[in-house]
Amino acid sequence: MSLQKDLDHNEIKHLRKFVDLTDKRVLEIGCGEGRLTWQYARDARSVLAIDLDRDSLRVARVDRPADLENQIHFANANSEHLPFSKEKFDIAILAWSL
Amino acid sequence: MHALEEIRRVLVPNGILIDLRPLADNWRVEVVSLREIRRTGRVEDLPEQTNGDIASNEAMKEVEKRGWFKRGQDELFPFFYSWDTPSEMEEFVDDDWSDFVGMEEDTRRATRAAWAVADADSRVRIGVEIWLARWQKTKLNLGL
Repeated sequence: MSLQKDLDHNEIKHLRKFVDLTDKRVLEIGCGEGRLTWQYARDARSVLAIDLDRDSLRVARVDRPADLENQIHFANANSEHLPFSKEKFDIAILAWSL
Repeated sequence: MHALEEIRRVLVPNGILIDLRPLADNWRVEVVSLREIRRTGRVEDLPEQTNGDIASNEAMKEVEKRGWFKRGQDELFPFFYSWDTPSEMEEFVDDDWSDFVGMEEDTRRATRAAWAVADADSRVRIGVEIWLARWQKTKLNLGL
């Protein structure tokens, strides 16, 4: 398959226009295989990316760039029962998941 | 709604919620080269897709009504899925998107015909409208 997504990088351009991710603790809900995560993670202090699909998370963990290993963490979690203490994140991104 | 309540709980005061999602909008099909863009049809929305949009919009309206988040700026922007050939596009639509969109034969035929006579660098793409909205967690402690 020759599928390519968002060759113009519109998604990250618009995301950056809307929110300053610099040094922020980010929760991404619906990260899938990490397509969006890789694009902004270097801006953030830390990223916790969750998804319900274990297969997608497996791909994301394999594809995670080596220099982001300590910065991005993945979890198989349901957004209706977030396994985190209160007031832990500066920014939450509902990534194609509402 | 429970997910949005949970998100509110884990955000710091004044924390930001970004709602980023594709909207059902009869996504456009195009054959594209450096020289030109030719629109060949549309992807048909199935009820599952449009009902999903309605439910999401209702949830955000309710969140605003309850005072959990304050609405900020929003906008639409295009997001393109692109393939080298029409057959690859059709295979993807039929295999991966069949639960929420469909593609009529007229569109398939028009896309194949346009691609067959297009420039050598041509690709086929589907343009999706993406909704991006920024919300801010309210300062009020509503017992959450």
